[in-house]
Amino acid sequence: MKRTGTFSFLRTYSVLVYFFLYFPLLVVFLYSLNASRSTVRFEGLTLAWYSRLFHNPALLEALFNSLKVSAVAVSFAVVVGTTGALFLNRVEFKGKALFRSLSMLPIILPGIIVGLSLLVFFINLRLQLSLWTVMLGHMTFTTPVVMFQVLARLQRLSRNLENAAMDLGAKPHQAFLYVTLPMIKRAIVGGALLAFTMSFDEIIITFFLIGTTNTLPVYLYGMLRFGLSPEVYAISTIVLGFSLLLILFMARYTGTGEEIYGKR
Amino acid sequence: MNSSIENTCPGPKKSWNRALLQGLPIFMWMLLLILVPLAIMFVTSFFVKEGVQVVHRLTLRNYLEFFTNPIYLPIFFRTIFLALSVSLTALLLAYPLAFFISRKVTRFRSQLYMMVIVPLWISYLVRIVAWRTILGRVGVLNSLLLALGLIREPLPFLIYSPFAVYLTLIHIALPFVFISVFSSLEKIPSNLLDATSDLGANSFQTFRHVILPLSMPGVVSGFTLAFVIALGDYIIPQQLGGLNGLMFGNLIVSQFGYAFNWPLGAALGFIMFAVAVAILFFSQKLGSSEGFLE
Amino acid sequence: MEETPAIKLSGITKWYGSVQAVCSVNLDIRQGEFFSLLGPSGCGKTTTLRVIAGLESPTAGRVYLEGEDVTDVPPYRRNVNTVFQDYALFPHMTVEENIYFPLRMRKISRVEARPMIQEALALVNMSGFEKRYPHQLSGGQRQRIALARALVNRPKALLLDEPLGALDFKLRVAMQKVLKDIQRNVRITFVYVTHDQTEAITMSDRICVMKDGLIHQVGTSEEIYNSPSSIFVAGFIGDMNFMEGVVTERHGDEVVVDVNGFIIRSGRPMGNFVVGEKVMVCVRPEKICAQDVCNLEDMQRFDNRFQAVITRIVFRGNDYEITVGLGEASMRLIESASDFKGENEGDSLYVGFLKEDVLLYPLQAEEEKTHEQLD
Repeated sequence: MKRTGTFSFLRTYSVLVYFFLYFPLLVVFLYSLNASRSTVRFEGLTLAWYSRLFHNPALLEALFNSLKVSAVAVSFAVVVGTTGALFLNRVEFKGKALFRSLSMLPIILPGIIVGLSLLVFFINLRLQLSLWTVMLGHMTFTTPVVMFQVLARLQRLSRNLENAAMDLGAKPHQAFLYVTLPMIKRAIVGGALLAFTMSFDEIIITFFLIGTTNTLPVYLYGMLRFGLSPEVYAISTIVLGFSLLLILFMARYTGTGEEIYGKR
Repeated sequence: MNSSIENTCPGPKKSWNRALLQGLPIFMWMLLLILVPLAIMFVTSFFVKEGVQVVHRLTLRNYLEFFTNPIYLPIFFRTIFLALSVSLTALLLAYPLAFFISRKVTRFRSQLYMMVIVPLWISYLVRIVAWRTILGRVGVLNSLLLALGLIREPLPFLIYSPFAVYLTLIHIALPFVFISVFSSLEKIPSNLLDATSDLGANSFQTFRHVILPLSMPGVVSGFTLAFVIALGDYIIPQQLGGLNGLMFGNLIVSQFGYAFNWPLGAALGFIMFAVAVAILFFSQKLGSSEGFLE
Repeated sequence: MEETPAIKLSGITKWYGSVQAVCSVNLDIRQGEFFSLLGPSGCGKTTTLRVIAGLESPTAGRVYLEGEDVTDVPPYRRNVNTVFQDYALFPHMTVEENIYFPLRMRKISRVEARPMIQEALALVNMSGFEKRYPHQLSGGQRQRIALARALVNRPKALLLDEPLGALDFKLRVAMQKVLKDIQRNVRITFVYVTHDQTEAITMSDRICVMKDGLIHQVGTSEEIYNSPSSIFVAGFIGDMNFMEGVVTERHGDEVVVDVNGFIIRSGRPMGNFVVGEKVMVCVRPEKICAQDVCNLEDMQRFDNRFQAVITRIVFRGNDYEITVGLGEASMRLIESASDFKGENEGDSLYVGFLKEDVLLYPLQAEEEKTHEQLD
């Protein structure tokens, strides 16, 4: 039958694409367990490289900086992105479509342009580069991530729900607290997790705005200049595992990350 | 009884909408973190660096530099060509996969879907590490080929070449293209396909005349997304590109390194911005005229 | 002394930007009546309702609830409740929690609220559904819960925005009865928005017909059916024959009109007409009697009698709809199936009707258009 021919061809093709996607990740994981200092030969399994990482103060500081940046950028995004989504859902104004497209820019434009324009802006303001400037840089893309997740959810809700709450005696803040917020809670958390994952890994924008401190990706990038090493694989694997964990948790909690990229 | 009903009432009133206050944070975000920096970058691109001083006088010199200095244009076109190749290949890899999951698979559909999406969120640097490991001179691929006796010497072009950049960028762009194509395939109503086969079309004809045209919006937006990702990247070329694999993004970054000619950097950045916005705009136009089913 | 109206609207006008939704609406809605706002979509009926609820503030005009000016009172301090078209049940709350919500906003404890919730559920015949979520209910059940939620606070008025619009025909008819029964039970003023004229006529004590933001007529079902104040109302409520003609004579209240050479006498001119003026002649199909039903002596009573040719016969189950030609115009009449003598298309038929059943309206360019749309 012709149909089965197409089917088995597509199946083989798909398996190869999956292999292409996952093989590199597997390689990183395996190399992190390699007992040999040489990154070429395989000489048995060890967890030694992992334990070493915990005694590296520079690395731990970079990790801590990354967490700080992401926490601030995501908190900002939750507040500004959520109010922005509520605003866009509720209020009609001229140029709303343009505003929505412009808000997408930090996600779809190459990061180099966002980083570059902010750097030129900060140079002109005579702003010292620091973790603070990195946080500002991350706010550009975490905000629309949260905003579009929440907006997508709001648009599936009836506009009458909030009206009904007020009609039944709820003051505006009560209507928000008891009715709107519980319904968009998952979208906010999902958006925040997504934004956190993106922020935690970010290097393209960070690289422009970091100055002399390090975030984890910048630290890893610095190590890469001296070539590959077992430590590099160990850090990479930890980062990999962390991202996977966050994404799987998010998928469980909210569905998929489809909303932000799937809706363009 | 008077049967004529008269329309006599007060006219509209302009009232300041209090809800606009709620929009203040997001407007400030847009203004201070997107619009003003872009505007300043644009204005700066017309300044020049003379000695160590940036001269605040408007001139087109940076743009002339881009068109006349033999360094820039070839690398610019190399970058465009690379971005096109990446988008096209990612599309060729992602489309059949999306079609397979969307139309042919019945079991584990959402799991298979998630498996393509997950790599989207895998750290960018980790993937660079991975491809450097695979493509290196003494890397996984060369070792494998040597062991199998297929080659005598390690293949030199695997790493520090445009090829390495190309492959790594595909790895990054593929999930994006997949999502775009998949969601447009999912939007095709299945009764439409039933109708087509009812009218006597075989599966290839159905694909060619119904599925492919209807999935075009996804193809266009996926292609664009991949193009823009490849266009702006500078870290992958730096890590895997070698001298021949340097891209336009690297030229921009180098203006902020030891050259520290940031007016020129801003001009180059603005050129890239213009290309990206143009293709995004074009694809949106194309996508919206094609997306008649929505 | 006249009773204070439950709801009084005075000069209510609402603009959305440069779009006019409602224009100078004046209404008195009486205590305990079932009052319908009826009109095609976009006529301003929902806006009017939302202005009463306080969900929209009018561009001009005042709103009074039981004599008190509430124009600037926010919705949560107005003692009226709304049943929304899409029910607007809170999806993350159970039935019980949904009904508890308005009580909770009044700081009534759960314990105190329990009997009130039970009573509200019993009122809409939904006892036992406390723990269900809205998505576990059918459309009709959600409708009832929305009703219970809106009634649990015993509001001064209940506002219903096309509450049956999303239900299928049979359920809609059943729910009409439920609504009417509840209204009789609780004796609360109901303001009911609908575009369905049958629904409005069968349920309402009074109806307000609106179009393009303007009130065309307010009155009981009978008043509106028997004496529509405009061509629009004549066509929107019930079935109507429209024929254009020219006034040829006037004797006091009787006006004689020429319709394609057929002379029609009207005892109900809706306006002051002069000879030579173009007018719209309106007769309800069921007011026209055919020879099958009325014998020739009966026919003598009719001021208008014609020998006309049957152009079309449509069987409709209980009755036949017969179309007869009047020159270029035509007229439809209804004959019950048992009276129908089996005439064929092309046969001629003797028909007649009273001049009191002929309404005349001035023909204005704009209203001509309305009439065409209705056809």
